Amino acid sequence: MATITTTITINSTDLLTDELSLSTTATLTTAGTSTGLTGTAGLARKKTGNTSEYTLFAAASYTDDKAHKAYLKNTSTTAAQYFIVEVAGAVVGRLYAGDWALIPWAADTTSTNCDIDITPSAADMTLEYMLFTDE
Amino acid sequence: MATTTAAVTLTSDLLSDEMSVNATTTCMKAGTTADGLDGMEYGYLDLVTGDEYDLIGATPTASKASKLYLKNHSTDETYFVAITQGTQAIGKLYGGDWMFIPADFHDAAGEIAVTANGGTNKICYALFHEGITKDASA
Repeated sequence: MATITTTITINSTDLLTDELSLSTTATLTTAGTSTGLTGTAGLARKKTGNTSEYTLFAAASYTDDKAHKAYLKNTSTTAAQYFIVEVAGAVVGRLYAGDWALIPWAADTTSTNCDIDITPSAADMTLEYMLFTDE
Repeated sequence: MATTTAAVTLTSDLLSDEMSVNATTTCMKAGTTADGLDGMEYGYLDLVTGDEYDLIGATPTASKASKLYLKNHSTDETYFVAITQGTQAIGKLYGGDWMFIPADFHDAAGEIAVTANGGTNKICYALFHEGITKDASA
């Protein structure tokens, strides 16, 4: 069985009066089981040529209502540059320069196509991304 | 300024060669390298099945660089927390899963809500932000 592990570590020495340190690891499994995810859309880089909206992952291309996980990273080093991240047309948030995200994704197609879309704030920005799929 | 770093490591034997991805970000306020996110809201609670709950009992300032961490601490692999934004399903966090997402909260429809499934789910969350307005007392 394939094993995909994800670890997050959040640290701060001065956000609170006491030091903050949080670390956790998850093994990515298929919905409702202990079986590891076995599919991936691969690690990729996308350079945007303009400030139009791009569909990164189309829900219709993946199994609906599952335990997919999407990893995104804005590689920009210009602080003001961001990607707007949308799921099903709803703005989730902005990924500023250097920011990354790990998003659970149901690939829901029941009501609205739950596509993951990105809109860069400037032309010629680069996004790194990867999808772990539950197929 | 407050300095909060968030690092991720993804490793896998899914491919014929080992894969490892590492990324670290310092959580900054929107559009600057001079000032870090300086607010935090944290919770660790039992989430009973049945109803949908707004995760954050406050309204963060819109169109900023807030970050939301959420982990499902359930040990039963069939339990999950459904994540929705407005009326739209985003994804499901099964027992042991975590997420770290940008959280815009650009308007009322931007509220992140959670619904427990399978049984009572124990969740932990942290919102890193640059300003919130507490919800008025009912």
